[in-house]
Amino acid sequence: MNIHVAPRSRTSFESGPAVVVNNLVRSYGSRAVIDRLNLRIERGEFVALLGESGCGKTTLLRALAGLDSIQGGRIVAPRRPAVVFQEHRLLPWDSLWRNVSLGLQVPDARERAAEALTEVGLGDRLDDWPRNLSGGQAQRVALARALVQQPELLLLDEPFAALDALTRIRMHELVRELVANHQPGVLLVTHDVDEAIALADRILVMRNGAIAFEHRAVRDGSTPISRAELLGELGVNSHSPN
Amino acid sequence: MSNIELSDIGRTTIGADEEPSSQNGDNARALASTKIRLGSRGLLLLSWLAPVALVIVWEWLAQAGWLSPQVLPAPSKVIRTAFKLATTGTLLNDLGVSLLRAAAGFAIGSVVGAVLGTLVGFSRIAEAAIDRSVQMIRAVPFLAVLPLVIVWLGVGETQKIFLVALGVTLPIYINTVLGIRQVDPKLLELGRVQGLSSIELIRRIILPGALPSILTGVRYALATAWLALVVAETIGAQSGIGFLAMDAREFLRTDVIVLTIVIYALIGVAADSIARFLERRLLAWHPNYGAAR
Repeated sequence: MNIHVAPRSRTSFESGPAVVVNNLVRSYGSRAVIDRLNLRIERGEFVALLGESGCGKTTLLRALAGLDSIQGGRIVAPRRPAVVFQEHRLLPWDSLWRNVSLGLQVPDARERAAEALTEVGLGDRLDDWPRNLSGGQAQRVALARALVQQPELLLLDEPFAALDALTRIRMHELVRELVANHQPGVLLVTHDVDEAIALADRILVMRNGAIAFEHRAVRDGSTPISRAELLGELGVNSHSPN
Repeated sequence: MSNIELSDIGRTTIGADEEPSSQNGDNARALASTKIRLGSRGLLLLSWLAPVALVIVWEWLAQAGWLSPQVLPAPSKVIRTAFKLATTGTLLNDLGVSLLRAAAGFAIGSVVGAVLGTLVGFSRIAEAAIDRSVQMIRAVPFLAVLPLVIVWLGVGETQKIFLVALGVTLPIYINTVLGIRQVDPKLLELGRVQGLSSIELIRRIILPGALPSILTGVRYALATAWLALVVAETIGAQSGIGFLAMDAREFLRTDVIVLTIVIYALIGVAADSIARFLERRLLAWHPNYGAAR
């Protein structure tokens, strides 16, 4: 696996973590969905977050994105994170380059958007409309929109869940490449155990509002974590016939 | 009896799929060939067939003396009248006056409607303060306030422009509020994630998202503006298309009356085309409006 490509020339002036979370509490009424959670993600580190539905994965991601208020603890990040959602959330009334440069405060926004779109293989469709894209293409534009912000932290909320299997595999390769080039810290929320194994340097399993299991992938040829072991952590007995 | 019918039905429905009876097959072939022969141009011609035929029959009936010119003058007579009034009479002046009233009323009404609608769309406080009153006014057919408006403003220009503006304000207001409320909250969330300021959020996401609804409001407003103008000009006007019609009524000039009706219709069609053009231009991105690419 080539995920630890030597960091490119893009130097980060300070090499701190992409995000540090201390004793995070997020509750709805009296029920704490996230209960004193701790997490640290380094720049260039790819972290996958697994967990049953309703365990608080997406809630954690939304808190990190600054979309929800938190009731306790601290989130420290050097810059605003970029987010790719499950739906592409492209503005249907804007061309692709306008979509990618949304919120970009630079004079050469179009050039920057063009670069990002080229990186995801859509450099020839700057002026096209989102409605002319397939699901996978739209999600690639969403990736470009996130990366053009040069985020220290990239939050991916099940971005491949709605794609067909073949497109998903291609997207995995693309994401791996992009992350290797840009070196953001990544938090990928997913249901897909295989996706987590394929992409992540570190796999976390969330349970009862906190990190219940952590596995650091060893990518130098030693045995990676088995699917069955991870499924066991998720409360699925993988020996049952299916 | 019922047995036979049932089996008959059964055979036709099944047979149509696999082995059509000769009669069914002929019908199907005839239908298919009509479809092939009539392209989009053919269908366009067909759609104009009935109206053109109607005018021809009307002309013929008038020429033959079956229709009294006092009841309904021939179309050719109406056209001649139009030319005469345009060259020697006040038709163009009256037309200009009417259009100016409509434009002024539309401009005032749409600004008021858009401003109120935007306020209410964004602010719950503004909604609490404004919306109920507007909804109560909406319950009144706006032409019903005409006597009151005449008492307030007389029968001058102000009364006419006011009535048009009143008719325009409500549809614009309602559709602006609706449009802003219907903007996809997921896109608003995205705007926040991308770090947009409130003003950018309005400019890049909320207004474009609300635009289809606002333009629907504009189309309604154009229709009501026209209606308001007809009514306003019919009562105590000294100029304008409506005045022309009322004046002609006194002298039993049916040809002029018909002409004014036709003019009202043509301008209504023109206004609607403008609205459609705006929709196609501004909503090119929208699958339901934009030209197919």
